[in-house]
Amino acid sequence: MESQAKAREAPSGAASLHGADLRHRDLLQLVSFHVGGEEFCLDILRVQEIIRIQALTRVPNSPDFVEGVINLRGKVIPVIALRKRFGLEALAHDRQTRIVVSEVKGTVLGFIVDSVSEVLRIPADTVEPPPRLGKVGREYVSGVGKLDSRLLILLDVDRMLSDSEDGIAGPNSQA
Amino acid sequence: MENDFLQDPAMIQEFLTESEELLQGMDQDMITLESTPDDAELLNRIFRALHTIKGTSGFLNFEPVVRLGHRAEDVLNVLRRGELRLTRRITDALLAARDQLGQMLSDIRRGGLKTYDLDALLEELEAAQKPEGPPLRLGEILVAEGVIERQALESILQEQAAFPQGPKLGELLVRKGLASTAEVGNALASQTVGAAREVAAREGQTVRVDSAKLDELINLIGELVLERNRLNQLTRDLTSGRVAADALHPAFSLSAARLSFVTEELQTACLKTRMVPIDMVFRKFPRLVRDLAGSLQKEVELEVRGQSTEIDKTMVELLGDPLVHLVRNSLDHGLEMPDVRERHGKPRKGTIRLEARQEGDQIVISIADDGAGIDPERVLRKAVEKGLVTAERGRHLVQREILDFIFLPGFSTVEKVSNLSGRGVGMDVVRSNLKRMNGSIQLESNVNKGTTVLLQLPLTLAILQVLLVQVSEEIYALPLRLVLETSRVRKDEVHLVEGIEVLRLRGETLPLLRLRKMFATGADVNGSGGENVVVLTIGEKRVALMVDRLIGQESTVIKPLGSYLHNCVSIAGATVGGDGRVRLVLDPAGLLASAQGLTVRETVQ
Repeated sequence: MESQAKAREAPSGAASLHGADLRHRDLLQLVSFHVGGEEFCLDILRVQEIIRIQALTRVPNSPDFVEGVINLRGKVIPVIALRKRFGLEALAHDRQTRIVVSEVKGTVLGFIVDSVSEVLRIPADTVEPPPRLGKVGREYVSGVGKLDSRLLILLDVDRMLSDSEDGIAGPNSQA
Repeated sequence: MENDFLQDPAMIQEFLTESEELLQGMDQDMITLESTPDDAELLNRIFRALHTIKGTSGFLNFEPVVRLGHRAEDVLNVLRRGELRLTRRITDALLAARDQLGQMLSDIRRGGLKTYDLDALLEELEAAQKPEGPPLRLGEILVAEGVIERQALESILQEQAAFPQGPKLGELLVRKGLASTAEVGNALASQTVGAAREVAAREGQTVRVDSAKLDELINLIGELVLERNRLNQLTRDLTSGRVAADALHPAFSLSAARLSFVTEELQTACLKTRMVPIDMVFRKFPRLVRDLAGSLQKEVELEVRGQSTEIDKTMVELLGDPLVHLVRNSLDHGLEMPDVRERHGKPRKGTIRLEARQEGDQIVISIADDGAGIDPERVLRKAVEKGLVTAERGRHLVQREILDFIFLPGFSTVEKVSNLSGRGVGMDVVRSNLKRMNGSIQLESNVNKGTTVLLQLPLTLAILQVLLVQVSEEIYALPLRLVLETSRVRKDEVHLVEGIEVLRLRGETLPLLRLRKMFATGADVNGSGGENVVVLTIGEKRVALMVDRLIGQESTVIKPLGSYLHNCVSIAGATVGGDGRVRLVLDPAGLLASAQGLTVRETVQ
């Protein structure tokens, strides 16, 4: 929460909406990426880095959405396939596939996404609470933002981790 | 004088590290001083230690530390000038002061000094300098508790004074029926509780490194930089095309060879900075044994050997508690009362030997006593009583298997629970602590001859020798320490017993785990794979792992898998292979447990 607060620049003086000069409104800076045809976003301060997909080492008896572990400059980090996490059909990794590395509750994790598109700035007040429908479980969505005609789903990775922790129950949890 | 400079955390940290070390040393010196009260050098050393602590505390404004340190210094000064000879009372008072100082230091570490009632201690330090007075404060405690009358105490003390070599006060009181053993024991325990608690206090997180070790590191890093420059030059030559690629080949391999040499040296040197003499753990034992022996009214000689053996700093912390527990066990349960020992034809004074030595890439620590030993029949009886084994099966167990029950949670053969041990928590905690260090524990005991506990520990926690094996597409690492042998098996050597696959190997029957099946790697779960098995030892159990291919051995740096995957019991950690890919290190105990449908969450709370 603290980092999100930092991302929003404090409004100073009257809000002007001229051109691209949105800086005087409460802004969210987001990294947007695609998973299964939807566009998701993560607060830019939550993203440590974005790397190309690399050879993964499978971890036996881990939940199926844990794709494996990778070596990130000498540190071993678990990588989660967001498609599997959201119950979507698996897709072969290609040149667009990326791993979004983020620190969640003190643990560095990687999330496999179909592709990463861009860094966006949207006014915080255009973000609405999540709708009841959608492929992704509502529980991992902190809100829905609109940018022109695009619909952006803001992910809540913290909640995703606490949920999945229950999922990692050891030897019998394998699908 | 409260300025920022004095609150500098780094400075306080430095002060704490130094003072704690000095206090540790003082502990041992005080005990030695008791047997050689005329050793002026020793006396001076204690004085200097105290003086340093006092001096720095004054500078940092730790007023209570200064006050207490100053008074203790006075006592030592009187001793140094030869105006007074060391008595047990003085030693006790100085040790109490030392303990109080230790408490203050750990309070500072935890946030700040509290308020202390030092009056009693300061008075005692003062009073101890007076030659007369009761030799033991035990009597005072008993009077205060209302166990005995002051008059009775006085008369007994007079009686005792007539025979300086005679029995101790507690013994006399019990013999005369004035106090029960339990009452004396309690009073004695209350004397030692404070000391024991302090002993358990944690060591600091900073490491003092010998500057020679640092110089070596810097030197090696210099070599590394040179080699990097050389490689950069070679790469430039290669890309510019000025030199033919073929001609560069020998230079490249030479550089690679030198690089691997320097890296290995650097790794060793780096690990050396973490190595400290095991004396850091051992030196609190003379004091502990002295205090406990006093309270149990036993006579003990503690022999400590191999103090200079070096161990990893992180192990110092993990080793402390298990060793305290084991030494206490030896004292409390192992050694008999002096009279009993005499009846058995042993010297009145029992011996506990604490020894450390390096054997290859392992550290072996042994705790041996010449006490009563452990009666396997009694252990078995207790195990049957507790329903750990049926009487029928118990008859077929060998002594080693019986002694193994001691390590189970909640097991204790002592009928009467004392203040010190025998509460059924302990040996299982000792064992699980050792497991955390990748170590093992063995127990040997002969009735009436004594008990020896052997601890085996890896030299360092950071580097692990592993055996690499392949299962389907993945390469896994097995801790080499646990590998007994590798072999190829024929199909007819595999049998089914009650639905479990077992392997007959030279008359021994081992459970067989097929990694392919367990990890469900690839579609070919039941495929022929290979007939390669690795025989591993897990505690006293043995197990055979079937793998596709044996690759070879390697020394690697083990990394944790992180909290996110901590529930994967069969994985101990990860290493990074030469190709940069992660390789998982398997935990055989976890593998066996998950194969048996159990989870091995240790019952360590």
